[in-house]
Amino acid sequence: MKIECTIDGKALTLSVNSNKPLSLILMEDLENQSLTSYCRGNACGNCIVMVNDEAVLSCLVPAFRIRGAKIRTFENYQRSRQYRDIERAYKATGSRPCPACFNARSMIIESILQDLSSSNKQHATAPLAKDVKLDKEKIIRELSLNTCQCMDMAELIQIVEVALGYRNRRRRVRRS
Amino acid sequence: MYEGVRSPLVYTPRSIGEFSTIIFRHPQAILWAGGTHLMASPDYYPSEARDGIIDLAFMDELKRITRNDRYVEIGAMVTARQLLSAGRLLLPPILQQTLRSMGTQIVRRQVTVGGSLCISDARLSLSTTLAILSASAEVKRYDQGKVTTVWIPVAKLYDKEGKLNLGSKSALLTRIRIGLEFGDFQRFVVFGDPIRKSDECGIVALHAKREQNGLSKVQFCVTFPRKAFHISKDLESKLSGSALPIHPEKVNMLSHELVAELTKMHSTISDLQLERARRIFESFLHDLNSQSLS
Repeated sequence: MKIECTIDGKALTLSVNSNKPLSLILMEDLENQSLTSYCRGNACGNCIVMVNDEAVLSCLVPAFRIRGAKIRTFENYQRSRQYRDIERAYKATGSRPCPACFNARSMIIESILQDLSSSNKQHATAPLAKDVKLDKEKIIRELSLNTCQCMDMAELIQIVEVALGYRNRRRRVRRS
Repeated sequence: MYEGVRSPLVYTPRSIGEFSTIIFRHPQAILWAGGTHLMASPDYYPSEARDGIIDLAFMDELKRITRNDRYVEIGAMVTARQLLSAGRLLLPPILQQTLRSMGTQIVRRQVTVGGSLCISDARLSLSTTLAILSASAEVKRYDQGKVTTVWIPVAKLYDKEGKLNLGSKSALLTRIRIGLEFGDFQRFVVFGDPIRKSDECGIVALHAKREQNGLSKVQFCVTFPRKAFHISKDLESKLSGSALPIHPEKVNMLSHELVAELTKMHSTISDLQLERARRIFESFLHDLNSQSLS
């Protein structure tokens, strides 16, 4: 089956089996180094990519569902401004995920930040997220998608809080 | 890498009419909703789907949420995330809690209502909650060139082991209907991880209406994925009409009756699962008591 899609900004026409998981397409056909997932759909949380700007588990997306989609892997994401917020948060808190889950964890944190930012936009009159009490239970649930045990949940929450602070500051500067 | 494995044909109907044409031609085709369960099976890829795949993602009729004074209708292709964000004001709290428990936001984007209800062999949280909310599902059956539409209560879609039975090999669940009159006491607990460790997990849900000092319309369901889907009519009738607070001895007796019933009807449930389900059921009743006293 021929599938046209955009992966990391490149328009591609792939000739793959229609039911092949996106994770395998990225790892086997495109030799993308940022993905390391062999859980075969058991939700280990290591294969997260952005499809049309929304984080998804790529092992649960078949090839026929990516027709015309814009896919962004960590390889491309790490060159973006959004990633800078998370990178700075890692530095500021002094803790980083292990190399095995680093890419996936960063993508999950990005997904959480996007969600928090969009809920802020919905309540335009509300104060910025920095001042809003974060729903830690929800964040823990989101972060637990990745099963790697390398980091304490408290450290991860701290990273999310700091990254959110950086993102909001960047937004405020841009707005002003 | 997988030479010789034929790529399955993918059909993308845009309406129920188009779908029926395709399903009559390819009755063995795999119906694809969210795909989260299908893709998680160990033999998913490489494998051949000989009769092809019917992708339901483009059928707008299955993506609608409608509401009137009496009920909400939810299309089978509505995702858990869409339902949670759209239905915050109209859905019963227990259903919202269930949707949240179905996974993280990333997973909820992919899980669909119909897909979750139509897993062939494992019952998860949504089936349990919809069963106690007395929801019904519209099922279209495609047999010998004829289409028949029936409304079936969600509780009757499954056998006692939780296996799906839509009444025909080629059938499509199009929407579910949930009544808007629900009781004020709703409890839902999942123990264990239904996706990663389904053998150790269980789902318990209770729904009841408190009237003056008594209970009415009690609905109770306990599910053990791949093992049991249990609705105890006996317990429900014993609880319905009973005065509040329920005596602790009666709570204890009812919980042991539940265990006895489960052991008799489903031999595969582990002792730990039974004990956890029993204690959760007891905690629901104690909670009910404490609310009635406050």
